[in-house]
Amino acid sequence: MPDAPLLELRGITKRFGEVVANDSIDLEVAPGEVHALLGENGAGKSTLMNVLYGLTSPDSGEIRFDGKPLRLRSPHDAIDAGIGMVHQHFMLIPVMTVTENIVLAAEPHNGPLLDVRKAQEDVRTLSERYGLAVRPEARVESIGVAQQQRVEILKALYRSARLLILDEPTAVLTPQETHELFQVVKALKEQGTSIIFITHKLGEVLEVSDRITVLRRGKAVATVTTAGSSERELAELMVGRPVLLRVEKGAAQPGDVLLSVRDLVVHESRGLEAVRGASFEVRAGEIVGLAGVDGNGQSELVEAITGLRKPTSGDIVAEGHELAGHGARTSFEAGVGHIPEDRHLRGLVLDFTLAENLGLRDVRHSPASRWGFLRPRAIAERARRLLSEYDVRGGGPTTRAGSLSGGNQQKVVVAREMSGTRRILVAAQPTRGLDVGAIEFVHQRLVAVRELGVAILLVSFELDEILSLSDRILVMYEGRIVAEHTPDVSESVLGVEMMGGRSAAAV
Amino acid sequence: MTALDRIPRGARGVAIMGIVVGLVGLELALPPLQVQAAAIPIVLGLAALACAIWAISRHERKLGLWTLFVAVVATAFAIWVQDQSDTSTSLVVNSGLFAATLVYATPLAYAALGGIFSERSGVVNIGLEGMMLTGAFFGIWGTVWSGHWEIGLVVAMVSGAVVALVHAVFSIHLRADQIVTGTAINFLALGITGYAFIDIYGSNGTPPSIDSVPNVNLPGVDSIPGIGGVFGSLNLMIWIVFALLILTEVILFRTPIGLRIRSVGEHPRAADTVGIPVYRVRYVCVILSGILAALGGAYLSVGFVGSFGQNMTAGRGFIALAAVIFGKWRPYGAFGACLLFGFANGLADRLQSVAGVSPNLLATLPYVLTLIALVGLVGRSRPPAADGQPYVKG
Amino acid sequence: MTDRIKAWLRAKAPAVLLPVGTTVLAFAIGGLVVALTGHNPFEAYKAIFNGTGLNYLLPWTSAEDKDFAALNLQQTLILTTPLMLTALAVALPFKCGMFNIGGQGQYVVGIVASIIVGTHFAGLSQPVHLTLAVVAAALAGAVWGGIAGAMKAAVGAHEVISTIMLNWIAIYGAQYLFELNGPLQGPLRDVPQSSEVADSAKLPAIWGVLQPLHAGIFLALAALVVYHILINRTVFGYEVRAVGHNSEAARYGGIGVSRSYIATLAIGGAFAGLAGSCDVLGWEFHIVTNDIAVSQIGFIGIAVALLGRNEAIGIAFAALLFGGLQVGTSPRALDPTIFPPQLAGNLAIIIQGLIILFVGAQLLLVYAWRARRGRRAEAPPTTTLIEPTGA
Repeated sequence: MPDAPLLELRGITKRFGEVVANDSIDLEVAPGEVHALLGENGAGKSTLMNVLYGLTSPDSGEIRFDGKPLRLRSPHDAIDAGIGMVHQHFMLIPVMTVTENIVLAAEPHNGPLLDVRKAQEDVRTLSERYGLAVRPEARVESIGVAQQQRVEILKALYRSARLLILDEPTAVLTPQETHELFQVVKALKEQGTSIIFITHKLGEVLEVSDRITVLRRGKAVATVTTAGSSERELAELMVGRPVLLRVEKGAAQPGDVLLSVRDLVVHESRGLEAVRGASFEVRAGEIVGLAGVDGNGQSELVEAITGLRKPTSGDIVAEGHELAGHGARTSFEAGVGHIPEDRHLRGLVLDFTLAENLGLRDVRHSPASRWGFLRPRAIAERARRLLSEYDVRGGGPTTRAGSLSGGNQQKVVVAREMSGTRRILVAAQPTRGLDVGAIEFVHQRLVAVRELGVAILLVSFELDEILSLSDRILVMYEGRIVAEHTPDVSESVLGVEMMGGRSAAAV
Repeated sequence: MTALDRIPRGARGVAIMGIVVGLVGLELALPPLQVQAAAIPIVLGLAALACAIWAISRHERKLGLWTLFVAVVATAFAIWVQDQSDTSTSLVVNSGLFAATLVYATPLAYAALGGIFSERSGVVNIGLEGMMLTGAFFGIWGTVWSGHWEIGLVVAMVSGAVVALVHAVFSIHLRADQIVTGTAINFLALGITGYAFIDIYGSNGTPPSIDSVPNVNLPGVDSIPGIGGVFGSLNLMIWIVFALLILTEVILFRTPIGLRIRSVGEHPRAADTVGIPVYRVRYVCVILSGILAALGGAYLSVGFVGSFGQNMTAGRGFIALAAVIFGKWRPYGAFGACLLFGFANGLADRLQSVAGVSPNLLATLPYVLTLIALVGLVGRSRPPAADGQPYVKG
Repeated sequence: MTDRIKAWLRAKAPAVLLPVGTTVLAFAIGGLVVALTGHNPFEAYKAIFNGTGLNYLLPWTSAEDKDFAALNLQQTLILTTPLMLTALAVALPFKCGMFNIGGQGQYVVGIVASIIVGTHFAGLSQPVHLTLAVVAAALAGAVWGGIAGAMKAAVGAHEVISTIMLNWIAIYGAQYLFELNGPLQGPLRDVPQSSEVADSAKLPAIWGVLQPLHAGIFLALAALVVYHILINRTVFGYEVRAVGHNSEAARYGGIGVSRSYIATLAIGGAFAGLAGSCDVLGWEFHIVTNDIAVSQIGFIGIAVALLGRNEAIGIAFAALLFGGLQVGTSPRALDPTIFPPQLAGNLAIIIQGLIILFVGAQLLLVYAWRARRGRRAEAPPTTTLIEPTGA
């Protein structure tokens, strides 16, 4: 490894309100090195890279590039310095061609006019040099995701990037395309470009990187050389040993199958397969935990079950009703409650009062309304009851939902979905953003509801939550259920499977 | 490439050829040629129809449908023209009609070009009507005050820029709803120009015989049959709008600046991440739209009518907006739409005096056509992706 | 006790202060314009106020002035009536996240329908004929608005553009109907005017003799109440508001988003159509093509809705304000020696424009007000009055 590092990050700290996204992080990247940045969701990877690319400025810390300190006020400065970034959500303009996207803001010109021919030539040259096959005249909206990614990479290389940041590049690729990407990475490395490779997939990290830095809850916990490391070691570093919130619960007494999913295939908005044939069952009185890292199809699976997305094929049967392809109301009326993973997007109408939000699903029925007219007293009474039962702080039935804290907002959602006579509950990230007390409360509620015979599907990125609550654990990876366990399975086994590790047998 | 190679063979080329053939059939029936044999437009119409079917069957659906439309309408119109008596046809359809088309289309075109700049950068501009009216008034005022039409035009441009600046500040910086702001601009322009008009010129109106923008007389062109009468002595501002049309097309689609403007309108965050100053680009484009729309209004008052009347633009700004949509936010397309609307308007005037067809009914034509375009019967009319959304940095 | 009142005031303050403050600011700027052009703004505004007839309500107005003021007040209220309705046409779709600029066209369509029904069917009794005419107007307006709603639901056509187009189609279409030799031209062959509405289809007069205030005002007030109940007390209103705030969450809740779009634009159109029937059956009794060309009722309705913050009470007051402004600056009511009415008419338009402009940037004023009260200033949020619906 050459002596002088190309990039040094020292003591980078960044806060958003009370949350410390980056806590005094140090990072070093040598020229021609592929350095992986590994961590779970919320570990702070994206924030760190936004700092490095000039999209955000750090509260404290220093960046040194080529030995010289670097002040970044915008991505423009980062680009000028030689740092390029390929975002997870592409920054490409769909209606423009590959060439136009690549040369934007650095266009070759002939007097006042665009020199389209030279631009295309430049693109072709660059493309051949690095082995990134693209069609220069094609419109970005008509090419596949893998090619779009190559365009993004070329965009950075066109601006003479010496350090390339790849943010979760394989999230959108098939295994074959991933392999091709790794070839490209190796080619870039040989040409002297350094690469920061952000990912949560263990196998890839071991295959392509030289060194690995692991982030956990905002801190850089370790930097290891790839050669000497293993999946187990990395998984442990990533997941750590958090306080396990063990919940008191008796043994499960599972009854009839209430929710059955068979061979489900769901495509997501860009046309990729997100769920690739998943099958499982949830019985009354049991909590089935679905473990997995974000982006492996869980969101789409949940959307399909709750009627927010039409599956391509497969069956979803809830208490005898076929749900696949029908809307949210059908799902709800079949008895499926849904705690959505994004309460701001879906779970709540922030401008509505708490009472109104509590009625979001059943406003058409008694007691909330009669003959089309709302019954505000009944609504308020039910709200008062639920708010006190679920210990929601920060307001009463007439308080605007947006003025509550995140934790209390989530309690409102939970209160709505867990009350009533629904026998199936899909809980997606139910404790996201909550403090310990609130988390404990939600967990107790989930168990209580289980005792009443409700079938619960718990989808969570938090392993300890899965482990402490589930009666059965399924692991989801790349759209498939790859493993099933009893709750006494070890974290590291789960961690490895979640990251696509060895025991990748489809169930 | 030899000349033979340039003959269009693909389905697209065939469709275009069909449109041309149909229009030729029509032109032959019109004065001054006035071929009376009905066979000619029918044969040409059938040929155009054949082209349409060929194109459609080869998946060139949109253009093929247009060819079909032109084939049917042009042939029907040609036969109708032949039916009319000699004198009445030439009263309706003559070089005067085409000149009237251009005259009516020109203020629309100015405003439409302005609208295209604004919307391509992502700022909806409903206030084109107000900006046109402002230019109309201040153009006259400037001309009367200075005695020269050139100064009048400059004053009009400045006034348009000022109004547009208000729209820009409220829409871009204060991130107010762009449609509400545009509506406010229309009200303000109406009130301010009306107030100033009454206050300064009273009930007598603007003085007669104001210096006006001259026509450009091209010697010798008059004698060319058919088109000569049209292009022989067009107003200077019409020639300017032709030039601006080409300039706009080139700037937006052939220069780096145009690429950057369009990127801001499609995906401002992507543009931001490569260092393009999104706010600055939007400000410039909105102000430019004000200047152009004001010029369009000034042409109306200083170049054509010679005076100002309250609310003299009478909704032309909205027709210009319709033209932008109908032309799919492209300069040539919008200009074509302006010509179409101008033609309908000129035809309406003449038909009213000759055949008594209601001008009001024909006046609905631009709007009906735009509605059809909106619904996508002639292909999706899709605005720039980020049109109307305020951009928040960071 | 006073603490509670203070707290209530502080909570309600933005809702009331903002429209009032906006209005005061707009009038102030208008006054500046008046002063800069060599007139006395105070005299001008006083004359305009007297023109509205509101001085009728003031105890110190003399008896003979009261007669003239009564006439003016009747005019003001006659104008307030359709303004309340066209404002509702804007307000309801706003609640669903849409901007209905098509009130003018929906109003015109209502006029046409009222004329058609009002000039035929002469044999019917008054209650029946009147009801038929009013209902026809509302239905016509509903269809006209519904077209835009359907276009939005089916192909995502932006309702602003489609309603603007529909406006002009309605305006020119109506002018065609009543023009010389048009299909609905009345018996006077040299005037582009419709037939007279039958007596059995006219709205009864309530107050006054010379162009009296008519019962349409009750219709408008009833509509305000219906609007308020619909939005705040019914399931339909709940669903509409949910879609307007967050269409994704509404979808999650099982609410039909497309249905809401069509329904709100149709009902909004019905309100505007109703406004047309009030004018035709209340005081116009026939339509001249010029009336259609110069009418701005639909557009002023937008200003009324914005100023009234889409709430029934606010709309009532805002409609009164704008109605008064129109009447007070008209040649009939304004003393030309104090301030020329033609200038005043344009002044009214300027003030309306300023109000719309400031309302558009309203949230920014809220932020400024909060910042002055010491709250931590963060970056101002997007001030779209129309929440992105993202359907």
